[in-house]
Amino acid sequence: MMEFRREESGTVSAMFEPVEVDLLRHVASQLLQLLASVDTEDASMIAQPAIHRLLPDAYPDDPEAAAEFRRFTADGLIEGKIANAGVVLAALGDDERSPDSEWADAAGADASPHDPLPVPIVLSEPQVQSWLRTLTDLRLVVADRLQIDPTGVPHLDDEESQVVNEIYNWLGMVQESLVYAIDA
Amino acid sequence: MPQIDESTRIREAGSLDRPWVTVVWDDPVNLMSYVAYVFRSYFGVSAPEAERLMLQVHNNGRAVVATGNRESMERHVEAMHGYGLWATLDKAEE
Repeated sequence: MMEFRREESGTVSAMFEPVEVDLLRHVASQLLQLLASVDTEDASMIAQPAIHRLLPDAYPDDPEAAAEFRRFTADGLIEGKIANAGVVLAALGDDERSPDSEWADAAGADASPHDPLPVPIVLSEPQVQSWLRTLTDLRLVVADRLQIDPTGVPHLDDEESQVVNEIYNWLGMVQESLVYAIDA
Repeated sequence: MPQIDESTRIREAGSLDRPWVTVVWDDPVNLMSYVAYVFRSYFGVSAPEAERLMLQVHNNGRAVVATGNRESMERHVEAMHGYGLWATLDKAEE
């Protein structure tokens, strides 16, 4: 991926390799499915670490107040996160690969000789906001999957996790590139 | 874009009830550049102030990023959760 740059028109743009577009589309679709499955009234679901990190306790020492805060905010937050992921997917265009392919496939496959051309990704300011938030949500969910500890070190180290860890770092690189582009 | 209003802060602090604070906690996932960006764009603070708050989160594990009444602090915490930051409410220290 080439770094995001701000254009004179105010949009930011970058060139993505086709395999990167597929990868981001794949993980954003999975995030969308996860978010759509969340029932904010289901306490056991909210207690799942990945969901809990997306909807943390606002009152860490007061479970009752935390539950009430969640009652008033969780549905709206989830709706916003779903909308953001939808904005990301829309900017990536139509799916040309199987949506069922595993992350490992998407990350591990080299760009095939059939799709050599980088894809321009052009984002308006509102789209950038959705991208920044979705990239964060993706990293939060993936970090839980990798059992990343408070110092930032992943604790799962099997073969698949190494691929997921690369995706995690790549998502961070995309986000940082976006932040720098809009900061410039 | 909501701003931290100094006059609100002082007024709230001067009332009989202790004011509330919005606390942002360090997490191993969010990038320092993103956290500073969120502080600047959401709270409207200057770049150096956003950097200072971000480093306080990073080095001390947490930072108070806003002070005021409970309702507005809940609004801030909700917004921080929208950004994916780990934020909580607390009563201000006396």
